[in-house]
Amino acid sequence: MTATKPRIVTVRQHILKANDHTAAENRAAFAAAGVRAINLASSPGAGKTALLERTLRDLAGQVNMAVAVGDLATENDAARLRQHGAQAEQIVTGTICHLDAAMVQAVLPRFDLAGLEVLFLENVGNLVCPSSYDLGEAARAVLISTTEGEDKPLKYPTMFNTADVVVITKMDLADAVGFDRDLCRENIDRARPGVPVIELSSLSGAGLDAWYAFVRGQGV
Amino acid sequence: MHEASIALSLIDVASEVLREHGAARASALTVRVGAWSSVVPEALTAAFPACAAGTPLEGARLSVVTVPGVGECPVHGRVTLDVKRGLRCPACGAPTPTLLAGDELELDEIELAEPDREDL
Ligand SMILES: [Zn+2]
Repeated sequence: MTATKPRIVTVRQHILKANDHTAAENRAAFAAAGVRAINLASSPGAGKTALLERTLRDLAGQVNMAVAVGDLATENDAARLRQHGAQAEQIVTGTICHLDAAMVQAVLPRFDLAGLEVLFLENVGNLVCPSSYDLGEAARAVLISTTEGEDKPLKYPTMFNTADVVVITKMDLADAVGFDRDLCRENIDRARPGVPVIELSSLSGAGLDAWYAFVRGQGV
Repeated sequence: MHEASIALSLIDVASEVLREHGAARASALTVRVGAWSSVVPEALTAAFPACAAGTPLEGARLSVVTVPGVGECPVHGRVTLDVKRGLRCPACGAPTPTLLAGDELELDEIELAEPDREDL
């Protein structure tokens, strides 16, 4: 008999299974309240907050909406969003560069879910880390702006591969920055074959009808 | 980067397995990380020792196995994908929308440092 005999245990478990469990609880809470939760992810500055501001303004009185917004430190985004009459709660993530399901669960008691139709979960500006974390959302929208280069989908394949819709923002700037629309769409399709793509401008309003159909859960 | 968060979750999952097996410590663990997992193996390996300090995983050897992406081409069957080219068959360029492998982020095995009572 040896004193210590190493023993190998086969585990084969998802490392984020605790997050998956909490995400399932969130998803059940949203389903029970009839809330459509939409997870928005993008690089910093891709225009998530601008798109949400426009959405809150345009759909006011038609869709009951609220926002939970993740940010490393500041309250700026929530303050911006509240100006449009909707409830916006900040999730300060500190050093964590993504929202996880537990952070979302912790903020849910601040909302009257039963009175809501759509809850936007505005993720931290980052195309890497948020891809790993299911928040319990019904749909995930990944935004890319015309100003950030057409190769983003291939640089961040996991994020784009988990998207239910890809939104190209700042189309009003497309010509000025020499945006290659066909190349961008080709790269998006390589990252996520067949994913619906919406091109829009939160400034001019072009393309917003397709976005609003997605927000309402009416397809793209 | 979120590898520290991943390392902490890994330690939680591993600690639970140790408890289930009545083991106090692990000497090694193997993790499978897919090319489409968005986790960088080197960053995870670098983050792990500090995260494991003071836990039953302290000092455990972490091995990260990288799993390549595998898709299914309608013509060529199962094909290994190149992350830089996206979900396209490397032979003919056809879309391979579903990842059959390569999105793993899992604790594969643990080597327990102490034996079970039955083994004594
Ligand atoms: Zn092929």
